[in-house]
Amino acid sequence: MNTLLDIRNLGITFDTDEGPLKAVDNVSFSIRQGEVVGLVGESGCGKSVTALGLLRLIPMPPGRLTSGEVFFEGRDLLRLPTDELRSIRGRRISVIFQEPMSALSPLHRVGAQLVETLQLHLPIDTRAAWMTSVDWLKRVGLPDPEAQMRAYPYQLSGGMLQRVMIAMALMLEPALIIADEPTTALDVTIQAQVLELLREMKSKDTSLLLITHDLGVVWELCDRIVVMYASRVIEEGPRRDLFEKPAHPYTRALLDSVLSLSGRADRLSTIEGQVPSPLAYPAGCRFAPRCPHAFARCHQEQPPLYTLSTDRHSACFLCDKHPIAQPS
Amino acid sequence: MPPLLQIRNLKTWFPITSGVFSRTVGHVRAVDGVSFDIAPGETVGLVGESGCGKTTLGRTVLGLEPRKSGEILLGGIPLWPTRHQETLPLRRRVQMIFQDPYSSLNPRMTIQEIVTEGLLQQRLIRPRERGNAATRLLQEVGMEPSVLHRYPHEFSGGQRQRISIARAIAVRPELVICDEAVSALDVSVRAQVLNLLIDLRASHNLAYLFISHDLGVIRHIASRVVVMYLGVVVETGSSSEVLDSPAHPYSRALISAVPVPFSESRKRTILKGDAPSSSHPPSGCRFRSRCPLALPECAARVPVLEPITPGSARQVACIRKDEILDTSQHAKALLQGVFQ
Ligand SMILES: Nc1ncnc2c1ncn2[C@@H]1O[C@H](COP(=O)(O)OP(=O)(O)OP(=O)(O)O)[C@@H](O)[C@H]1O
Ligand SMILES: Nc1ncnc2c1ncn2[C@@H]1O[C@H](COP(=O)(O)OP(=O)(O)O)[C@@H](O)[C@H]1O
Ligand code: SF4
Ligand code: SF4
Ligand SMILES: [Mg+2]
Ligand SMILES: [Mg+2]
Repeated sequence: MNTLLDIRNLGITFDTDEGPLKAVDNVSFSIRQGEVVGLVGESGCGKSVTALGLLRLIPMPPGRLTSGEVFFEGRDLLRLPTDELRSIRGRRISVIFQEPMSALSPLHRVGAQLVETLQLHLPIDTRAAWMTSVDWLKRVGLPDPEAQMRAYPYQLSGGMLQRVMIAMALMLEPALIIADEPTTALDVTIQAQVLELLREMKSKDTSLLLITHDLGVVWELCDRIVVMYASRVIEEGPRRDLFEKPAHPYTRALLDSVLSLSGRADRLSTIEGQVPSPLAYPAGCRFAPRCPHAFARCHQEQPPLYTLSTDRHSACFLCDKHPIAQPS
Repeated sequence: MPPLLQIRNLKTWFPITSGVFSRTVGHVRAVDGVSFDIAPGETVGLVGESGCGKTTLGRTVLGLEPRKSGEILLGGIPLWPTRHQETLPLRRRVQMIFQDPYSSLNPRMTIQEIVTEGLLQQRLIRPRERGNAATRLLQEVGMEPSVLHRYPHEFSGGQRQRISIARAIAVRPELVICDEAVSALDVSVRAQVLNLLIDLRASHNLAYLFISHDLGVIRHIASRVVVMYLGVVVETGSSSEVLDSPAHPYSRALISAVPVPFSESRKRTILKGDAPSSSHPPSGCRFRSRCPLALPECAARVPVLEPITPGSARQVACIRKDEILDTSQHAKALLQGVFQ
């Protein structure tokens, strides 16, 4: 499979009143054509800034690009002229945000916004654009699509709006969809509808970067998983392999704290302590203050990302016998 | 053991007003005839879709929302008679922990003031005993007493939730209503706070009404589950029974919708459409507009929440419950078609 998106050493820092905040630090990973990659980690670890940053949607200042390249179909998105970037965003790459309201204008009817999006990118007349939009709303399972076209966004429920967003993202048939917590704000029954849609899309050779903190969602949808902790990638691997044989102590602890619907232990295993503040990361491994396996070296040096096998990486000194990963 | 809390046919409606004179044009029937009990020391999980009335139910028990009708009894005594004065000591026995650890703590009060406020109000301690009481409470929730004079904004979400817990247990309640108390926390911190709640339950003999959309959390902490849909209870029973083999078509859809890591791809009921509005619930069974098993009769009569067998604690409100629970071949075939 061809590499579609290749993120190399991405670094983004925010200049805040309390000092520089390294939100994304040396992040590298790639997405192949037709692949669903899950980007997981606890809140504040840098998932959204990575996704927005690679599309240059982070306001600068306060943000600042400190390093990196992002190759999409052979071109570096971070250095592309703005007009070229804009035509890629939307046409070739679309984004689904957690809050659908933030991406739709409250003042215009749903239909007008869908038609406008189509006409912005395709040579298509209004009538044809209207028909295409209705068709897509039907495909994402919205009841009574003609009526929804005439509705204002506030008249739709969260789940309906999220489906409008998905229709909007899919209808230009992009090569890559970036979905940032697309179901976090939804009820599970509605989430199931949306996941079903994303699963269908997967069969169409569209790539998906799915950002979420829900490991159940990741398990159901993703081919490969990238785990972030404290602004860095700490582990990467194919879904089953990573879930069954996590190499990094943080990933292991994270998987242990997942509550299943069946098993019922008396006490949960927990990770002691808290995620460090991005304004004051520890000098060595950022997980060292909470890691049950930490040893002297962990407090002095930052572990590099080691390559355990093709597609399998872990940033932990326990993997030191392996070669260090180079961004491909 | 006699129930600690008894909720009897409770209704809480909110008026929908319109026009300059705020004329009432209808009602949101947030809670529309709910009954269940909680025994001393028992944890009951309350689940259901957003807007189905879980928070409103909890707030009504606490007297934060006006009740339209029905009864709330604590230890057999009405919790909210018309004259509030008499029930002050009763009210101490029920406390609440909210979802949002950011807005539920007063930013202008120190941690010591926050956790001892209730104790002083109820005259359970004297002002000069504040420091000692606060120190003891913080130790109970696993925090350093050195933070006593700091303010909420200096703490992480998990720590603030510990402070909320300290405040709730300060007045020695018997029932704590936890409304999405761990939902805003990251997984690693969520496990710590859940463990704390489990430990306190044992050491203080606390009963919890545990509201959560996370069925994994419910399975872990609650011995019994109440499933709500549009203001009514559709199923109740032990957590293992309800979560492993749900009977009501809504519970089935809800539980099958939860993505579970490590499981092989499961059969799933995908419901069509969204929940209808609770100001205009469908006639008859409220779930019928989305129910894959609905029959014409479902529109005509309201299914009663009844034990599945006489005397059973497992109750289901569906006219087809016997068919669903029937393990015969005919029944299996019936379900196979709809529940894939
Ligand atoms: N003060 C109020 N005035 C009018 N309607 C209200 C009020 N509070 C709640 N409601 C309505 O009552 C219904 C039940 O709301 P409630 O907050 O109890 O739901 P919930 O089950 O807690 O949902 P969630 O899972 O989203 O927290 C909803 O339709 C809601 O919009
Ligand atoms: N506009 C901003 N200004 C300053 N800090 C920010 C901004 N946006 C994000 N951050 C910080 O960057 C870090 C990573 O955030 P984010 O990528 O949103 O996390 P998540 O993994 O939850 O999506 C966090 O510490 C966050 O507070
Ligand atoms: S490098 Fe050391 S501290 Fe970091 S995860 Fe590995 S063992 Fe733990
Ligand atoms: S009563 Fe009818 S509509 Fe309601 S849950 Fe049962 S079968 Fe479905
Ligand atoms: Mg985010
Ligand atoms: Mg609520």
